[in-house]
Amino acid sequence: MFELNLSDWQILLVKLGLVLAIVPAITLVAGYAEHKVMAHLQHRLGPMYPGGFHGWATLLADGLKFIYKEDIIPAAADRKVFSLAPLAIFVPTVLTVLVLPLDETLVVEELDLGLFYLLAVSSISTIGMLMAGWSSSNKYALIGALRAAAQLIAYELPIVLSAAVAAMLAGTLSLNGIVEAQEWPFVLWPPGIGLIAFLVFFGAGVAELTRPPFDMPVAESEIITGAFTEYSGMRFIFSTFFPEVANMVIISGVATTLFLGGYQPIVPLGFLDAVPGLVWFTLKTAFMVFMLLWIRPTFPRLREDQLQKFAWKFLIPTSLVLILAAGAWVLYAPEGLK
Amino acid sequence: MLDERKLSAARKRTYGIGLLKGMAVTLKHLFKHNTVIEYPDEKQDLGPRTRGVIALKEENCTVCMLCARECPDWCIYIDSHKETLPPKREGGRPRKRNVLDRFAIDYALCMYCGICVEVCPYDALFWSREFEYAEYDIRQLTHEKEKLSDWMATVLPPPALEAGAEQPGQPVAATPAAAAPAPTAVAPAPTAVAPAVQPAGATTPTPAPSMSAPAETTEADKARLPAPPAHPAPRATTDPEAAGRSPEVPTTGQETVLSDQEKAVYQEDPGPNVDVPAEQPQPVALERSEDAEAVYQQVLKEQLDKGSSAQVAEARARVARAKAERGIKRGPTPLTVDKPVPSAPTKGAPRPEPSGAPEAKAPQPDPGPVAAPAEAGAAGSDEAETSAPAAAKEPAAEEPPSAEPVSTPDPQAAAPAVGGSDETPDQVFERVLQEEKAKGSSDAVAQGRAKAARVKAERAQK
Amino acid sequence: MDVARTEENIRLPDEVAQEVAEGRLQTEQMVLNVGPQHPATHGVFRLLATIDGEVLVDAEPVIGYMHRGYEKLVEARDYRQITNLVSRMDWLSGINNEMPLALAVETLMELEVPPRAQYLRVVLLEMNRILNHLMFFASFAAELGAITPTFYAFREREDIQAAMEMATGGRMHFGYMRPGGLKEDVPKGFFDQALFGVRQVMDRIDDYYNLIIGNEIYKQRTIGVGVLDKELAYNYGVSGPIARGSNIDFDVRKDEPYLAYADFDFEVPVGLNGDCFDRFWVLLHEVYESARIVEQAIEGMPSGPILGKVPRVIQAPEGEVYVRCENPLGELGMYLVSDGDRRPYRLKIRTPSYNNVSVLPVVLRNTFVSDMIAILGSFFFVLGDIDR
Repeated sequence: MFELNLSDWQILLVKLGLVLAIVPAITLVAGYAEHKVMAHLQHRLGPMYPGGFHGWATLLADGLKFIYKEDIIPAAADRKVFSLAPLAIFVPTVLTVLVLPLDETLVVEELDLGLFYLLAVSSISTIGMLMAGWSSSNKYALIGALRAAAQLIAYELPIVLSAAVAAMLAGTLSLNGIVEAQEWPFVLWPPGIGLIAFLVFFGAGVAELTRPPFDMPVAESEIITGAFTEYSGMRFIFSTFFPEVANMVIISGVATTLFLGGYQPIVPLGFLDAVPGLVWFTLKTAFMVFMLLWIRPTFPRLREDQLQKFAWKFLIPTSLVLILAAGAWVLYAPEGLK
Repeated sequence: MLDERKLSAARKRTYGIGLLKGMAVTLKHLFKHNTVIEYPDEKQDLGPRTRGVIALKEENCTVCMLCARECPDWCIYIDSHKETLPPKREGGRPRKRNVLDRFAIDYALCMYCGICVEVCPYDALFWSREFEYAEYDIRQLTHEKEKLSDWMATVLPPPALEAGAEQPGQPVAATPAAAAPAPTAVAPAPTAVAPAVQPAGATTPTPAPSMSAPAETTEADKARLPAPPAHPAPRATTDPEAAGRSPEVPTTGQETVLSDQEKAVYQEDPGPNVDVPAEQPQPVALERSEDAEAVYQQVLKEQLDKGSSAQVAEARARVARAKAERGIKRGPTPLTVDKPVPSAPTKGAPRPEPSGAPEAKAPQPDPGPVAAPAEAGAAGSDEAETSAPAAAKEPAAEEPPSAEPVSTPDPQAAAPAVGGSDETPDQVFERVLQEEKAKGSSDAVAQGRAKAARVKAERAQK
Repeated sequence: MDVARTEENIRLPDEVAQEVAEGRLQTEQMVLNVGPQHPATHGVFRLLATIDGEVLVDAEPVIGYMHRGYEKLVEARDYRQITNLVSRMDWLSGINNEMPLALAVETLMELEVPPRAQYLRVVLLEMNRILNHLMFFASFAAELGAITPTFYAFREREDIQAAMEMATGGRMHFGYMRPGGLKEDVPKGFFDQALFGVRQVMDRIDDYYNLIIGNEIYKQRTIGVGVLDKELAYNYGVSGPIARGSNIDFDVRKDEPYLAYADFDFEVPVGLNGDCFDRFWVLLHEVYESARIVEQAIEGMPSGPILGKVPRVIQAPEGEVYVRCENPLGELGMYLVSDGDRRPYRLKIRTPSYNNVSVLPVVLRNTFVSDMIAILGSFFFVLGDIDR
């Protein structure tokens, strides 16, 4: 590697700059994948023109278009809150990337409380949704914001609880530590506990993303785009499309880290070590993203009360039981099995 | 299959299996061949009946105003003035005639119902399948007669009819039972246009066996009516995506081959009892001297050189290609060929026009808006002969007699109308009279028609 | 991931209503203006919804945004022009709208329609029914949040649409019916294309079934939601797939066969519970039955003319007649009064959608906002048909 004499804050700045460049890039790639995969699942072609080859530049063109669009703020809206809301949604998204270990050393900031940080930061966006909905002075936006708040809070719990399972199994809150603990990924071992925790995490994650089948807060056919009904132009992009797609990748990355073994090979076979960790991480994340993309066009959406029931009556009890099971496993499982 | 599914079973709880099945369905489509037509690059080959835009054949318009009157939203604007013409014969009366000054259709108002095309007794209006004429300014959507005439080049010949249909040119004598009414008021249109579009030599008249008597037809029809399987249609064997939608503009060589195949099916002799439309070129006679794509390029170039707008040029080229694919040789554009014979084939032909029926109900020829084709034909051609700028139209006016017998094997349409080459006018008179009587026309009508046929024959002899 | 708890949460709206009634959940009510521009109302339909949280306390449909005055308009048009006008009432089932008009004129004039025309009419009507139903299949699923069925349904529609276009030249407004028969005979290749289209639909209908009807989330959203009971449906004059979903076994095609419908073997699917699920189930099965009718009609297609002995100028003799047909959305009736002119003296049109939506306030009461969308979607209405 190269040697550079940089002070700590300089390094931090470089890292932040990289993150700010990479997150939008990944979002564009994932957004393009979403366009194309969804199109083909639906027996269409998707974008074909912009950029020439299979419309690769569609999202760039879209972005340009949104920049050119008029930024409308309703007269009755609370202007300050209205314009701050997209930031409150967008910034936490970027912040979560900081602790994701892409490879053994490829992590912006390795925190001992990485998982804790991640979960804390990612729940800020709820406030952004509420801000957007409340300040818009629009009934649909209000309904959407309240739906979003109720949903995000309800699904925060199963996410935290199932992530706690992973932390318990690994015995650490550091994300790197969790990955290192997964010689066998948690999905495969310990039997059952990891898999169910993964499914709970995944289900709750989809809800957290407000993507179908849990997209009531933005249900287009019911309440237009929920909290963002009044948004337009760049604000719209930064409050809906961008966080949604970026979060999709991030949730996939987190699930990969917590349950699929992160940058470790999927099974501990010697020859698989030759593949770099980044590739493993990317492959696993891509698989998770594909699952999300696959689910989206296939399912109708649930109703608000059914969604709440699903969280409180099914996911949360399940994850509580899982925590018990994980505790029991950690304490009582024979050493050879761990 | 669906018919076995019961409601009670459908309402049962399935514990997640339904979700997986749904995911299987979408996943299956991920790997399926796509059928999307990428529009501006690929274009669907729309049928000749497609109501895209209305084309005007200006020479045929006699300013009868029927279209403007029948239009449900009054979007046709017609202006004309009267012109006095010198008498036709020595000592006759000077005659008046309407000259078209303005013919415009406001496509912003038009509801594309096609009534104007349907009522036009002189075949001056046609549907074209072109549809790309959106404008930024709504006023541009009012197409004046120049633009409407331009569309004429994009008009396709009418399609052949489906098995079991009553063909427009069917010999009436051969099918006495089915003789009842001629198909519709529009029926004359096919006969009038089609021969003109075809080159004279392209079709050898197949002796259309007059076996299409209704009884036989029905039986034979039934025998062959499990049509889809019996047809050696390409869609039975090839990829349904490609073959199923016959309208696909061939862009690559492979697709051209495919459409060839389809064309063969399309024009294939449907069975032993031929009721192939008379004007449908037989496959044998097809001469595909030119490659469709070459035709396309050539016409495009010609048009562009001529100074046509890019859109018109492309449209014309596409029609030329479509025609080339269907085996219709490229001739001069219809605009220049078939001017003066608005309804020559129908004229005097003792075909029962729709007005045949009213004889029961309304003995007097109905002075209603839709003129009987026969009268219309007479009037039209009279006018064409007398009023046409002589030099331009004369040769063309004489064309039909020579062209017709060859290109329309249908004896009925050809022979009496233009004076069958081997009949004297008197013979024609006798024959038509007999036919009319056999058909049950009243004496006066029969006499009148026979006379008309004789006059026509005499003229043709000259 | 078991999300299918279908039976137990059916009555939940009532529970909530109960709690509201007891004053335990009292909150401020809010009037939500759904429409006239709203993605779930398929046009300019407006619903004044009084909501309490997510619960709809009251709903009042407001219609008339698309009133074009057809009933008055037709009094100044002749029958051929009217054919093209009524075609635009319910823009999803153009040729079905033309049918009762043609039948009414034929009845008054005592015209005889040749068998080939009758069969061809059946083919076109049923293909149009498939087009209409597939459209609602797509839109209902889309309203529930499943976006994919739209694309699948439109793919199938396109094949049938191609056949319709081949014959009539139009894609939505066909203008193909004439008193006494049809405008012209169908072109060569039409039967092949039509059979190809309907067989395609029959093949793929299982996909639809697996994608939507078998889906647990879909079941949860529809079973027990928006129950329209039989009595209510009778009282409001509800007809078509919606009435059949409520266990009313009535189909004009079967009960008063017009045209050649008596010749064909088809079933009338009937639901049991009158909820969204049953309505949609009926809809999908009707697609299948229509496809079967098209197959039978083309196989038994007689040859001959397609227009009876019709005078050139259509003048219905003095008199009056009421004719009803089974439109894709229900019973479409036309009451034609003629004074012997070329124009009708009066044409009263009874459109299915109008009667069907009139029952909405009753059905919508005490439902959730999400359910409201499902119910609106399952009431299969076309705004042009309501307002005409």
